[in-house]
Amino acid sequence: MQSITLGHYLPGDSFLHNLDPRIKLLCLLVLIVTLFLVRTFWGFMFFGVFIILIFSASKLPWRYFLRGLRPVFFIIFFTLILHFLFTDGGRVYLRLGPLTVEEAGVFMGTFMTLRLVLLVITTLLITLTTSPISFADGIEYILRPFRRLGIPGHEIAMMMTIALRFIPTLMEESDKIRKAQMARGADFETGNIFRRARNLVPLLVPLFVSAFRRADELAIAMEARCYRGGENRTKMRELHTRPRDYLGLSVSLGMMLAILFSGV
Amino acid sequence: MLEVKNLSHVYMPGTPFQVEALKEISLKIEKGEFVGIIGETGSGKSTLVQHLNGLLRPTSGDVLLDGCSIWSGKVNMRAIRSRVALLFQYPEHQLFEETVYKDVAFGPRNLGLDEKELQKRVRYGLEQMELDYESYKDRSPFSLSGGEKRRVAMAGILAMKPEVIILDEPTAGLDPAGRRQLLALIEKLHSEEKLTVIMVTHNMDEVSRLANRLFVFSAGRLVLQGEPAVVFNSPQKIKEIGLELPVLSELLLKLKDSGKNIRTDLFTVEEVGKEILEYFRGGRSCKV
Repeated sequence: MQSITLGHYLPGDSFLHNLDPRIKLLCLLVLIVTLFLVRTFWGFMFFGVFIILIFSASKLPWRYFLRGLRPVFFIIFFTLILHFLFTDGGRVYLRLGPLTVEEAGVFMGTFMTLRLVLLVITTLLITLTTSPISFADGIEYILRPFRRLGIPGHEIAMMMTIALRFIPTLMEESDKIRKAQMARGADFETGNIFRRARNLVPLLVPLFVSAFRRADELAIAMEARCYRGGENRTKMRELHTRPRDYLGLSVSLGMMLAILFSGV
Repeated sequence: MLEVKNLSHVYMPGTPFQVEALKEISLKIEKGEFVGIIGETGSGKSTLVQHLNGLLRPTSGDVLLDGCSIWSGKVNMRAIRSRVALLFQYPEHQLFEETVYKDVAFGPRNLGLDEKELQKRVRYGLEQMELDYESYKDRSPFSLSGGEKRRVAMAGILAMKPEVIILDEPTAGLDPAGRRQLLALIEKLHSEEKLTVIMVTHNMDEVSRLANRLFVFSAGRLVLQGEPAVVFNSPQKIKEIGLELPVLSELLLKLKDSGKNIRTDLFTVEEVGKEILEYFRGGRSCKV
């Protein structure tokens, strides 16, 4: 349980780590759009090299590069298989009864897989280098113009922050309760799925009880400090955009324009 | 009966969050002892006790129960956990059943006992904690007071009939009456039920009075061990690692420092009171 790196954030000190979170989110948006503008394999190669360069500049351990792909492995795998088998057109490479692997399928499968892999890695690059708190901060700023449309940016960010703040607490708590019940002979590891689900009751009931208790305490603590949220609330850590943030954004935009106009 | 050999534990090895919580710990606890484990927050006390019943696996080193390694694979972990019971801090947070009976029966039920034996065990556990079986068994554990909840959680451990009980800060957050009652019950478990007790605590007054041996931890190392009289005889060292002396020891040492020829190895109010009275009445300084 302790091996889970939460929110994937890895503290560090690099160009990417120190980028303004608002700009980082914008860059992510631009790069995702760019990925969907790519039309050829050359484009992906270009983009891939770009991402690898940034990855090495951010001084992240390489194994996180692959580890990040693990949760989406099945989606990628199925995309590949489904395209291979069901997209028709062009030469036939292989016949398996009623199923055929055709040229267009291989092309589309590989193409989509590459797009997915790069999408995940790009996102990973941002989440690995942004602390959850500054992430929420960035989202609050970005949602600010939408307040007129009734989107409560501050409240959303506050909810995110609180949720993120309590993930480690609840993890720790569940770890403790799990151990406490294991000390009483509880078993969370063996048996079929129904048995296991039932065995979770001694873990879930105390966990919910304590989550509600904590929520209550937090609400009272915030109330006691006259929390009102939203309008006119100042920040302890003001975000400042510096030249390097504009540099980051220009690089991302440059990437998009290059892909768009070169037609790769 | 419990032995820890060169035990080290590292949390989250290989990540930037890696922490070495215990470094090369070796210690031995004999049957029937009352052992106190003291140390600052984060000194590794809780990590250590979780190794004693196999909840944590040592990064290196070993834990032996009656001379057999609990990680040798031949031993049933459930059996070990029923022999060496561990009660975490704020154990009332682990209650989950609808009735006190069911909650106390959870541990013994996991041992595969039949309903008749279960009932006996639950009765035993509750009675040891001075909770009346008939009036408590059908109540919801969530409707009880803080002190009662804690005793129910403790009954749940005792119902497994362990040989060793490990208590992590058993009196934290209790009011003085609740604290006194719980300590008296623990003392009784040790003296009458002959349980080996391992108590992790920050309360030097309690532990110096109850324990026959102390282990002092600091920054993941075992820095001092021995009888309370020996451990608290090095006040300098105790303060250096951020701990306090028991109030009574502090008093006796102050008296001694001011030139009074007085014993400093006493830990109960009665003994200390007697010693001081004797000193001032008898004018023992003449004897020297």
